Amino acid sequence: MNVIYCGVGGQGIVLMSNIVGEACARKGIHVVSGELHGLSQRSGSVIVHQRIGDGLSPLIPYGGADVILALEPMEALRYVYFLKPGGTVITNTRLIHHPYETENFVKGKIEKYVTYEEIVENIKKAGAKLYEIDAIKLAEEAGTALAQNVVLVGALTALPDFPIDKETMLEAVKASVPEKAVEANVRAFELGYKAMKELL
Amino acid sequence: MSLKEVLKEEPHVGYMLTNEAIVRAALEADVKVAAFYPGSPQTEILDTFDRVSHYRDDLVVEIAANEKVALETVAGAAFVGLRGFTSMKSVGGNVASDTLYSLAYTGVKGGLVVVIADDPYAHSSQSEQDGRWFGYTAYLPMLEPSNPQEAYEMVKKAFGLSEKYGSVVLVRTTTRVNHQSGLVKVGKLKRTPFDKLSWRENRRSYATVGSLARKFKAELLEKVAKMKEDPEFLALNRVEYFDGKEVKVAKPEEAKGIGIITSGVAYSYVLESLQKLGREAYVLKLGVLNPIPEKLIGDFIEGLERVVVVEELFPYIEGFVRQIAKEKNPDLEMIGKKSGHFLEMLEYNVPIVIKVLAEVLGRELPFDYEGHFKRMWELAKLAPPRMPTFCAGCPHRATFWALRRAMGRPENYYLANDIGCYSMLALEHIGWTDSLLAMGASLGIAHGVQHSAQERVVTVVGDSTFFHAALPGIVNAIHNNAKMTLIILDNAVTAMTGQQAHPGSPKKVNPYEKRIDIESVLRGLGVEKIVVIDSFQARKNIGKLREALKYDGLSVVISRGECALYHFREYRRAGGKIVPYFVDKEACERAYNCIRDFGCPAIVVDETDLKAKILPEVCVGCGVCAQLCPHNAIHSTAVLYGGEDKPHVTIEDYRELEQIMLRRGGQ
Repeated sequence: MNVIYCGVGGQGIVLMSNIVGEACARKGIHVVSGELHGLSQRSGSVIVHQRIGDGLSPLIPYGGADVILALEPMEALRYVYFLKPGGTVITNTRLIHHPYETENFVKGKIEKYVTYEEIVENIKKAGAKLYEIDAIKLAEEAGTALAQNVVLVGALTALPDFPIDKETMLEAVKASVPEKAVEANVRAFELGYKAMKELL
Repeated sequence: MSLKEVLKEEPHVGYMLTNEAIVRAALEADVKVAAFYPGSPQTEILDTFDRVSHYRDDLVVEIAANEKVALETVAGAAFVGLRGFTSMKSVGGNVASDTLYSLAYTGVKGGLVVVIADDPYAHSSQSEQDGRWFGYTAYLPMLEPSNPQEAYEMVKKAFGLSEKYGSVVLVRTTTRVNHQSGLVKVGKLKRTPFDKLSWRENRRSYATVGSLARKFKAELLEKVAKMKEDPEFLALNRVEYFDGKEVKVAKPEEAKGIGIITSGVAYSYVLESLQKLGREAYVLKLGVLNPIPEKLIGDFIEGLERVVVVEELFPYIEGFVRQIAKEKNPDLEMIGKKSGHFLEMLEYNVPIVIKVLAEVLGRELPFDYEGHFKRMWELAKLAPPRMPTFCAGCPHRATFWALRRAMGRPENYYLANDIGCYSMLALEHIGWTDSLLAMGASLGIAHGVQHSAQERVVTVVGDSTFFHAALPGIVNAIHNNAKMTLIILDNAVTAMTGQQAHPGSPKKVNPYEKRIDIESVLRGLGVEKIVVIDSFQARKNIGKLREALKYDGLSVVISRGECALYHFREYRRAGGKIVPYFVDKEACERAYNCIRDFGCPAIVVDETDLKAKILPEVCVGCGVCAQLCPHNAIHSTAVLYGGEDKPHVTIEDYRELEQIMLRRGGQ
């Protein structure tokens, strides 16, 4: 399975792929990931490619991703060219507007912010099966807004053709997050898993 | 990062980043001294070593002032006979290269391995450099892995090869190898205690001038000739036969028809492309970039009709293949960069490689990659660009805001920028940059410009850059009585690469480190006009900056404010609570000073009333925006709780705060 993880710098995108990678190691499933880190600033666009099971190179070819897992909807759309025709997009529902967009707005260079509905419409036009999850809300319910990434990992795990079982994924979550945040992250994972099951 | 995978003593299979696998390999090779300067894409090697050093007392890990000093440090260890390791990004390789070329001459006693990490596509670099020429032109062996497993194996092997030849061994990587993760099978971690050796007993000459240099050069050429024949080096190159499904080991002489020569991450694109095309081909995967295995390449191409060379950046391998083909197979058709099939720039991927291979192998593309990309791009364009920007709470944003106001008319100034987070000023629409070249280069450029331009010259460096390469430029400016303003953005750490320590940093890697105070250095050098400001006092700083800009001579402004990511992480660890700011909707008159030319990611427009709004989950409470508001409409949320910090402010709490403020009718 080919998965694109994306979002905005600071949301914990690399951790999502590390959790799945850790689970693959536990199951002995072949995995290759291509991450892009370098500039440590927040607010930039971040993407990680992950090939679970098959796939030889660290980058998913255009039209080759089974799933786009997005912590921010605009980023789901930005990388939609990686999605295979009819592929799945799981996205957080809250937009994060970049300061340039805000500045263009107040300077009258754009009339309004791009809306969630417009973004979602284009994701659908791209032929994606779309699942929307308010990950921040669920993460806060679990105890910390920081766990929104783990909510989405839970949602990814709930996909019928996801190649790793829930128990292994939970073990990987426990092994990957800071010790004092384990409980909240386990709850976040369960909430994401449940929310996705309901959507399916 | 999975430190435990790196430290686990028993052999195991772990999910690792290549940069972590490299550290594991060096540890298994019993490396004793490692030194670095950070820089993407190799920074995680330093970070992992730094963290490992907290758990092990059998190695020395240091962050050096720059790559040249780091290389010299590990070379010193290797002169004595201990194993040394350093890594650097491509442009850091330039800084170290002065020493590297001479070090190639003298050689080393203890194994010394140097990773040079290139960045095709210039994801986070000033240029797309090709570090493969360092190996070739310095006569140093150079290996190139294509994935984390190979990186682990090659780095481990490189130490032995280094000692066998008394030579530095280079390992060349690229961003897509450094930042690739996968399952890595590692061996037992068995280390020896750190015991100093006797230099007296081990010593030999490491001096190279004139007659000595000529002697060394002759030895160097002999070494390279031996390496060419060495089975240990040759075993790192591989001929494979791919039948459309599976890869099998093959002999070079077997290659017929169409063959492919490749190395590094491009090898993985080649294999995946062949798999997708379901077509057979012979592949020569080079693991050694210097010395080039000429005989092997000759044997491989001898029976071929066409050869495709797949490599990013320079046609480095292609050039050798062309030369060898002249003798071995003059009729060979070459597909590569010179034929126009591949670009000499950017990084490759499967769609780029498969397109050429499909054409050469006479197969239909299994998928219309270009068409799909174009169709999807039309839809994706709706998403506004999201380039990196100064973080919420970044001191640089506040400094530049004040600088801009102090200048009044920026067109009266020349701004020589440098390498660091502040480089983003060149991207920022709120900012401006007249030049930006290399670490510390701003000082020399500014010096030349102040000789030549009518405009007042302002130059910017960060604290880490100050120590890395700006000092000689500063000495030069003082000595030659330059008339300009130097702004040193002191945020306490090397922020851009992930908040590593530097010589002026309050943060330490080793307990024996001494902190060097930038202001004292400048006073000692004889700078007469030094203005120290608190970056976050943006409004107050305008006047102080203006004073520095007007000074008839060299003025230096030290703007102190800790990197937001570093500061707030430490603050949280110490039990501190973040107190976000909020907009008093009654007082806000939509002047947008907090948004215009400030660009904080925490501030957005509330579409319901078109007033400014601060996102509490992004705001870190630096409070600079409150200074910008002409209507005094921005306040700390602490105010609402009678001066008490609320431990955790959720979005719902924030909504409630807004309601409370509305009911109160402002402050």
